[in-house]
Amino acid sequence: MNALVLFFILLKASITSFSGLAALPIVREELVIKHHVLTDTQLNQAVVISRSTPGPVAIYLVSIGYFVDGFLGALMGWIAMILPSFLVIPLIYFLGQKAEHPRVKSILSSVIIASAALLFAQAIPLAKDAIDGYLTFAIALLSFLLLLLTRIKTHWIIFSALLISAVSVFVSL
Amino acid sequence: MNSKKIPIDIKNIFHVFAAMGNLTFGGGNATVAVLHRDIVGRLSWITDEEFILSFAISRLSPGSNYFAFCVSIGWLLKKFPGAVVSLLAASIPCSLIAALATAIFSFAQSNQIIKSAIHGAIAAAVSITLVTCWTLIKPYANKASSIRVAMILPFTFYCHYSLELSAINIIVISALFGFFFPENKK
Repeated sequence: MNALVLFFILLKASITSFSGLAALPIVREELVIKHHVLTDTQLNQAVVISRSTPGPVAIYLVSIGYFVDGFLGALMGWIAMILPSFLVIPLIYFLGQKAEHPRVKSILSSVIIASAALLFAQAIPLAKDAIDGYLTFAIALLSFLLLLLTRIKTHWIIFSALLISAVSVFVSL
Repeated sequence: MNSKKIPIDIKNIFHVFAAMGNLTFGGGNATVAVLHRDIVGRLSWITDEEFILSFAISRLSPGSNYFAFCVSIGWLLKKFPGAVVSLLAASIPCSLIAALATAIFSFAQSNQIIKSAIHGAIAAAVSITLVTCWTLIKPYANKASSIRVAMILPFTFYCHYSLELSAINIIVISALFGFFFPENKK
């Protein structure tokens, strides 16, 4: 598949979605069903990879690009993924100036409260998947307390969680 | 902890977004929490209100909410150059990691140590996500906003978790609610 065509397909998927995996149906329709350059297994693998690597879930577009056209495809996926982000600038420019207007303030506060509920809802499947024993429960609890009560840099907490879990493989052997 | 004031310049913006934005497992929301601790808590580059404004607006923007959030923060810090640098710093390293992970996927899947390490990091990400919820709600946990929180929070949670209504629909409904029912000043 031509890299430019791949880019426009991934851009279409990225720009018409408003959150992480919302673009999946478009990607599947275009690349799996219409063009036959990607399989359903690869699509699922791309999602798994995005959940197992640092950064946002939207990064699965990079993996899909790689599956279709190697590193050039990954580059196309990256550009398609980041380009729509610039559309936030007119929004922040306009709403930022009107941020003190009661109606704008009210819209923003409602969106924030709803976002917190969405986050909480997203944390549940993440917790079901990740917390599957005493060790992961202890990691989650300790991380929660450290984040809430201390100013330890978050990457140290994540790094410690990574290390403890990796070492636990040897301990349980 | 660190009392030395770190200036807001392109180099430091790049450093913060590259370091904080590419180390967090568990998706964009967990990464947002990490950035909050650094940019608002440690560096005091922006206020809590500006952070929350950026977060809300990025939810209304097409594409990845997380990258829109980075652009928005970068814009607040150093206008267009800041927006570009924060986006590149937040996206290039994790994209390279994702491309490499795709290339070695079968090996990583069968390696027990890698799998276990990632599992532990995602357990920590659950806590990061929960702390983010609290960070977002905290400014509204006052008398004036408590009714709004009590109405929107359980309603949106139920719609998303039980009725499986999409995130963007929920955001639009909440924005409409805010538009038609503005808060009283006092």
